Amino acid sequence: MRRLTRRELALMLGAGAIAGTTRAEGSGPVALPGVVGMAEAKAKLGRPLSREQADRVIAGAMAAAVGAGSGVEAAASIFTPGDTVGIKVNCLAGRSLSPRVELVEALVDLLAGAGVDRRKIIVFERTSRELERAGFTIRRQGPPYRCVGTDNDYDRLPSSSGAIGSCFARIVSTECTALVSFGVVKDHDLSGVSAGMKNWYGVIHNPNKYHQNGCDPFIADVARHPFIRDKLRLTVLDGVVAQCHGGPAYRPGATFELGLVSASTDPVAADLWAWQVIEAERRRRGMPTLEEAGRPVRFLATAAHHGLGVDHPDRLRLVTA
Amino acid sequence: MRIDRRRLVVLGAAGAAGALQPRLLRASAAPKRAPGSAGDDLPAREASWYKKLEEGRVECELCPQKCTVADMERGMCGVRENRGGTYFTLVHGRACAVHVDPIEKKPFFHVMPGEKALSYSTAGCNVECKFCQNWEISQFRPEQVQAYDLPPKALVATAKRTGARLTAATYGEPVVFWEYVRDAAAAANAAGLKPTVVSNGFIQEKALREVAPSLAAIKIDLKSFREEFYEEQVRGTLEPVLKTLQVIRELGVWLEIVVLLIPTLNDSVEEVRDLSQWVRKTLGPDVPVHFTRFHPTYRLTDLPPTPVTTLERSWKIGREAGLNFVYLGNVPSHPGENTTCPGCGEILIRRVGFRVIANNLVNGACPECSRQIPGVWE
Ligand code: SF4
Repeated sequence: MRRLTRRELALMLGAGAIAGTTRAEGSGPVALPGVVGMAEAKAKLGRPLSREQADRVIAGAMAAAVGAGSGVEAAASIFTPGDTVGIKVNCLAGRSLSPRVELVEALVDLLAGAGVDRRKIIVFERTSRELERAGFTIRRQGPPYRCVGTDNDYDRLPSSSGAIGSCFARIVSTECTALVSFGVVKDHDLSGVSAGMKNWYGVIHNPNKYHQNGCDPFIADVARHPFIRDKLRLTVLDGVVAQCHGGPAYRPGATFELGLVSASTDPVAADLWAWQVIEAERRRRGMPTLEEAGRPVRFLATAAHHGLGVDHPDRLRLVTA
Repeated sequence: MRIDRRRLVVLGAAGAAGALQPRLLRASAAPKRAPGSAGDDLPAREASWYKKLEEGRVECELCPQKCTVADMERGMCGVRENRGGTYFTLVHGRACAVHVDPIEKKPFFHVMPGEKALSYSTAGCNVECKFCQNWEISQFRPEQVQAYDLPPKALVATAKRTGARLTAATYGEPVVFWEYVRDAAAAANAAGLKPTVVSNGFIQEKALREVAPSLAAIKIDLKSFREEFYEEQVRGTLEPVLKTLQVIRELGVWLEIVVLLIPTLNDSVEEVRDLSQWVRKTLGPDVPVHFTRFHPTYRLTDLPPTPVTTLERSWKIGREAGLNFVYLGNVPSHPGENTTCPGCGEILIRRVGFRVIANNLVNGACPECSRQIPGVWE
């Protein structure tokens, strides 16, 4: 698929060529169905990006995602200064295959640059222990931002969405007004792909209940719960190093240097891109497709069916910084 | 039987000198230990029923969910974890609820009436009933509830100290802590106690056969007699539960059945009749069946409690189907709580709620007509 440039996207937006786009000037957060912005970031497995590189990559991907002139401008079009922003990172695979700290901190800086109070930016994961293992420092109150595990601080009562019934982390249900899924690009043994949407399993108390049938319809059901559907503004995927097999745990032989970071206001499109990337690498290695391997990616069609985003490759628009 | 968080009591670890400690379950209320999402700070013991698959996966062979679990992931019950291709139980000897109950509360009505049972549970369950009364244990993972080290020998020592003559694996779902059940049963038998289990019966046959013979009695929740109900309300299947009931009978272990009647979902005349006739025909007339009253809870809060008239109708259907021992539950003081001689109609055991008011059995027989009443009486 040919990638658009940010400028081309801006022209398309001006011409109304992206169906379903929300927010004209000043009327709420931007949402661009099917659009995935991306920026290049080369680094070996386990090697950090320089902070300068991380800033450039995040700003580039964000700007590309919404056709903005800069990362700060992009952040300002997605978030408001009054928001409390929760950034859910997926740290299950430890330091080797979790979102890079420097990328997450670059996003935090962009949000702060767009006027969001740093004390209201919460980087979180299921447990503090997982965060620490992935290289994050626990900061219950900040500065320069809060970084905490939900550590079983769930709602007292479950709430239902489709087939799921779960207690949600209070950070999500109560504290935050806006959410970011910050995942990695990796294979998953059950759902096929674990990128942005599967990451939300980490905010319910009982994810183990929802692994049947390739996690379908459960991933979509979690994501369409109002706590997430109404607050999710952005999905960022760290694809500097990705993994095409053996997930969700880190599997050294299955990682590859993809060298890309993506950002999208469409959670389904973000994962569709991740799926395509994983399939491409599997093809390159002569491996069977995920479907042939017995784990077809079903949850994206279900999510699209519920109106959460775009799952058709023809409507996916990749935009480079 | 529902565990009320306010009333839940844990009899500490063996060394805790029997001090009763009020307990809250969820770490959000009173965390005692740092949770570990991957569970690797939880004590673990290799599981007894699983097989290794290619690429570090495992397949659990304990229950009919047959979870295939990748490295660092857990099965549906949340208490079994794959660590590098070896499958572990995270709840062996890790009790999150321990309480001394009358055996009638399980309910067992034909097992040592009036005796106390040291009841214990861990976190986790292999199904997800929308009407679960103990969801604050069963629907949580081990690191999400406060638990105590209570290995089998300590459990038995605690039972003896409290005067309990039975143990009961209950509250949550014993299938998911089956290794603990097995080892606690062995310790209980060695100490002259009677081990019992209260379960959903959703277990693979091999695991059942390996442990059931060491148990004095098993109570199975037969949640419905319709596959659709199991699929929609339980996220399990009926067929393996029916198989479990047959295996328990075949093994000669004392069996009682509880059917929680939920208005409009499983309480129709046809379904209750089908169920009763199947029990009569397949398991025999002497298996006690308890029809119990539903109260709204967990994810089924939009239905009313079961009308007593529905329970009474079901009682009648059960009797008409030829069942000798049909009981009503969660309706204190109802005559349906009493045990009556199927031969002469004499009331043999009179109960109010979980209390035995009078036990007229003589060596397990009716004092009037001498008919032997099946059960575990001593
Ligand atoms: S016992 Fe747990 S892990 Fe094993 S098959 Fe059943 S639900 Fe799955």
